[in-house]
Amino acid sequence: MDTGLVMPALVVALDGLSRRQAAIANNVANINTPGYLAQNVDFESALASAVDMQPDAGTSQLGGVISTATSAEPAGLDGNNVNLDQQTLLGTETNLRFQMALRAVEGRFTVMRDVLRGS
Amino acid sequence: MGMFDIFEVSGSGVAVHRQWMDAISDNISNINTVRRTSEAAFQARYIEAVPTAATPGNPGGVAVAGVRLGSAEGIEVSDPDNPLADAQGMVRRPAIDLGEQMTDLLMAQRGYQANLAVVQRATEAYQAALQLGRSS
Repeated sequence: MDTGLVMPALVVALDGLSRRQAAIANNVANINTPGYLAQNVDFESALASAVDMQPDAGTSQLGGVISTATSAEPAGLDGNNVNLDQQTLLGTETNLRFQMALRAVEGRFTVMRDVLRGS
Repeated sequence: MGMFDIFEVSGSGVAVHRQWMDAISDNISNINTVRRTSEAAFQARYIEAVPTAATPGNPGGVAVAGVRLGSAEGIEVSDPDNPLADAQGMVRRPAIDLGEQMTDLLMAQRGYQANLAVVQRATEAYQAALQLGRSS
């Protein structure tokens, strides 16, 4: 993999993770709304294959890998299918993944800074 | 997507659950509100929530679409000593089920807390993002 793809892939991952976090916020806000169906954001597998297919893609080409889908889980009596346990776990995981991606971006910046300093 | 969208979304969730709790506490505090049989009974308030559609300018969330009122008929009970009693000794009490109100209160409380937990998580993520490029 070309190192030129690292930053675009990280940027798309950060975007996808923050969109997932927003979707989770929406699902939790509607936890008691009758008829509401949970929304899920997916991008990991699509991003992985996009990175494999186009080794010199930029952020704009990779941006299309983020997709939102309505959860197909069975709904309760009020027609709502938000699962709070699942959303809480997913939220915690998304938060940690987001921070991990931020560390990776930080790492790239550190490399650039070291190169510029020549040390 | 705006910068701090999650606060807006979870804020709407907190607000709706807060209103729900307000309605429930009002219902419970009026559970013994007696009226004359010639008047309508105290009507319980139920909050109707609808999801706000997420559009490019709006991150979504939830909103109160309206308030549904409970039975105006209530329950007529015999209470001849009550100063509000009619000639037959009847008064009108509200048709509020305390068990139902208490379970609703628990749901509203948990929903409120869940939304606040999301706010807390989002704060951590935003704070981490704000630290980008700051070290040395």
